[in-house]
Amino acid sequence: MTRYTELSIIEINKLLKNKEIKPIDLVLETFEKIESSNINAFITLNKEEAINKAIELENKEVDNIMFGIPIAIKDNIITKNLKTTCASRMLEDFIPIYDATVINKIKEKNMIIIGKTNMDEFAMGSTGETSYFGATLNPWDSTVVPGGSSSGSAASVSSGLSIVALGSDTGGSIRQPSSFCGVVGMKPTYSRVSRYGLVAFASSLDQIGPISRTVMENALLLNVISGYDENDLTSSKKEVIDYTRLINKGIKGLKIAVPNYYMADTINSEVRNSVRKVIDILKDEGCTVENIDIDYLDYAIPLYQVIALAEASSNLARFDGIRFGYVSSNFTNVEELYKNTRSEGFGNEVKRRLMIGSYVLSGDNAHKYYEKALLLRREMANALKKVFEKYDLIIGPTNTDVAYPFGTKIDDALKSFYDDLLTIPVNMAGLPAMSMPVGFKSNLPIGLHIIGNYFKEDVMYQLGHFIENKLKLHLKPGGEK
Amino acid sequence: MLVPTIGVEVHVELKSNTKVFSSSLNAFDNEPNKYVSVIDLGYPGTLPKLNKEVINMALSAAIALNCKINKVMHFDRKNYFYPDLPKGYQITQNKTPIGYDGYLEIEINGKKKKIGIERIQIEEDTCKSIHVEGKTLLNANRAGVPLIEVVSKPVIETGEEAALYLEKLREILLYLGISDVKIEEGSMRCDANISLKEHDSPEFGTKIEIKNIGSISHVKTSIEYEEKRQKELLLKGEILKEETRRFDEKTLTTVLMRTKETGNDYRYFPEPDIPYVVLSEEWISEIKNNMPILADELKEKYRKLGINENNIKTIISNISLCKFFETVVDKTNPISAANILTSEVLGYLNKNYIKISDMKLNQDNFIKLIEYINIGKISSKQAKDIIPVLIEKELSIDQVISELKIEQISDENILLEIINKIIDLNPNAVNDFKDGKYRAVKFLMGQIMKETKGQASPQILNKLLTEELSKR
Repeated sequence: MTRYTELSIIEINKLLKNKEIKPIDLVLETFEKIESSNINAFITLNKEEAINKAIELENKEVDNIMFGIPIAIKDNIITKNLKTTCASRMLEDFIPIYDATVINKIKEKNMIIIGKTNMDEFAMGSTGETSYFGATLNPWDSTVVPGGSSSGSAASVSSGLSIVALGSDTGGSIRQPSSFCGVVGMKPTYSRVSRYGLVAFASSLDQIGPISRTVMENALLLNVISGYDENDLTSSKKEVIDYTRLINKGIKGLKIAVPNYYMADTINSEVRNSVRKVIDILKDEGCTVENIDIDYLDYAIPLYQVIALAEASSNLARFDGIRFGYVSSNFTNVEELYKNTRSEGFGNEVKRRLMIGSYVLSGDNAHKYYEKALLLRREMANALKKVFEKYDLIIGPTNTDVAYPFGTKIDDALKSFYDDLLTIPVNMAGLPAMSMPVGFKSNLPIGLHIIGNYFKEDVMYQLGHFIENKLKLHLKPGGEK
Repeated sequence: MLVPTIGVEVHVELKSNTKVFSSSLNAFDNEPNKYVSVIDLGYPGTLPKLNKEVINMALSAAIALNCKINKVMHFDRKNYFYPDLPKGYQITQNKTPIGYDGYLEIEINGKKKKIGIERIQIEEDTCKSIHVEGKTLLNANRAGVPLIEVVSKPVIETGEEAALYLEKLREILLYLGISDVKIEEGSMRCDANISLKEHDSPEFGTKIEIKNIGSISHVKTSIEYEEKRQKELLLKGEILKEETRRFDEKTLTTVLMRTKETGNDYRYFPEPDIPYVVLSEEWISEIKNNMPILADELKEKYRKLGINENNIKTIISNISLCKFFETVVDKTNPISAANILTSEVLGYLNKNYIKISDMKLNQDNFIKLIEYINIGKISSKQAKDIIPVLIEKELSIDQVISELKIEQISDENILLEIINKIIDLNPNAVNDFKDGKYRAVKFLMGQIMKETKGQASPQILNKLLTEELSKR
């Protein structure tokens, strides 16, 4: 039997255009796969709607490359009439009345939403284990974590349950699970993709981005979701370019920096070896690759804990049991309504982070921690920006290691933050960054981190596509490595 | 000697078309939750927009109140839990209020005094809570309505000064056209802070706040009461605690609402969803150049035109009346216009509960009315009959005059004939006139008026009668 959903988007598009297949074929195949899968990648399936949409599309002209392509959406992106839970008991039954801007854009292109993917609760976590609906399994090995917080989006693409997916990234939540699951994940430049309709975790760091099987398909999805949005004052008015435009262009002459911090002893040696192999290939191809020092990178985790959690403590204050979401049935006054609703509705990781966030903004602490963190953040951003005065790209590993067994870090609040050691600086600076598979440690994928200058996603795709072509990895879990 | 330190905080609703952070209409409606969007409800995933009209309005207030402008300003989140606060935080301005360090001028006992203004900040209003049968209902029509908070410096010395400050502030905001500033409707809300200290002590005393006082005169009364109450307690040797009190309008006293145990911890931080706003010199001067004429300037203008103080006060205190007056004042005799407007016109409107916006009297008719009175075409007495018709009906003054058959006889030939006829009939009066008895003229005038059914033009009649009598 032909698996149409395993073809590339370009091939699918040809078949759709030639009327050799219909969107419904893709949708039915998708749900057949999802229903026989046991990785818990989805919280809510959109089967009926997806089938109706596919049938509706039969009478429409195939007018764009993403027409009829099934897509999975992280469950912190608001979808009208489709349950949006943020993997929390707090929003277990929450059915939104509007669509996020990215959802409008996806619908305009007649893509088909197949469901909402599992994640760490309110995007807080890097293993997927904090989900109220249970963890997602890593398609490569069901005993290790898929990474998080976009666990379901990365795992569903990796296991072929969806062709593409949307995730969100506050400190690494697209790149880290993409790395652990062996897929391509892009966190675009802050402001490139509208955040309107993304349930906010840390507003100054959050960004929605595409997760895909290949670099090319990642660029195609970024083309769909990018652009200025009057509903998001922080979105950029800069014109959107075609992100595929540099793909297949030669990479000779690209200047690439490798931060020493990213290749230090704290990083697993096999991971470093994979990166070194890539560096050798790039040098052979005529790229300049140099090791450099970047200041302030080692402050990433404390900075994240102060800034992200402070913003989160404010952003999640609206879940108070009054207008929407979970309401405790156990209260006699408004104080108890708040306390019990939030105690019962939020999981432990969320509560822990909200308490830290409230603490760092409280009284004198605002000055001691928060304001100091903002200053340091600016310094870190400047240090990173400076690199791009001399270099086109920064590369290194996405993570310190490959995916690890479930339960390893769940009892150590601090340890799980260390997963984001290499990814957080990018969010602090608002730069775009991508993870793509470049090798394996035993049977688990290793991710390469490509960081670009502001709005230079096209150059990142150019490099990523070249590496992908050179390595020709077999990236089907369970298959030949 | 114990002296009071008083500061006043005022929240004013701006009457922009839409709310400050969403496109929902900023309007009052009896139907609750009618002007509501997902943004106003703090729905997950929503982000604020920023209404430029609100910035313009706040900027005009900051300029009118002589404030310095924070040219690079941002918004802050004030975090606290309260059922009427949908997002769990209020978007306000903590670090960079749009205006700071300004003042307004009051006049007390004939002397001018500047009252310093510490800051003006833009913020959003909350839902309105309605308590019904043990339940609390929320009306989000008000959620996200733009407010400016105007905070005075603690330089007010008496309740009277506080009241004068508020009246002046109200007048300025009203004439800027940015708010209805109606305390009774909640579009202006006043809180007062009072503390007492020894007159030579550099440190302020314990601050007591009186919240949401229902009228400007109650601000004065409540401050005076509070001053007395605190003085008595302090003289008894009691130590005051920081408190929030309310004013009881029945007993005219202040009542404890809550003691402030610890300072409020609002966990302020810059609002990450709204980028910094840069108020350029061009932007500021555009607002400056388009500022409406404010009350003080109008008062000065009217004084120069010779209008009396009472009339000026009446006109200025009624902004609709003032707006009407401004449309005619430069086209007619301003003194007569002010007289007629504040007496006959306003009198009739008030007596019959007619709003100025509803009256049919237009500026053309009003200008003609003043002209006709001044040239003697109609008497002031006749004007009193004409004005109500002009207010009630959409007719021209000439139509009204002919309809009421009250046109004056000002044709000298016709009048001369009647004058001579009456003089001939009253020889005694002529003799009295020659003896210098002025009442003879009055008597003859009355006879002629009787003969003409009151239609003789008094000015012309007076002139002709005196001439004719002198000829005899």
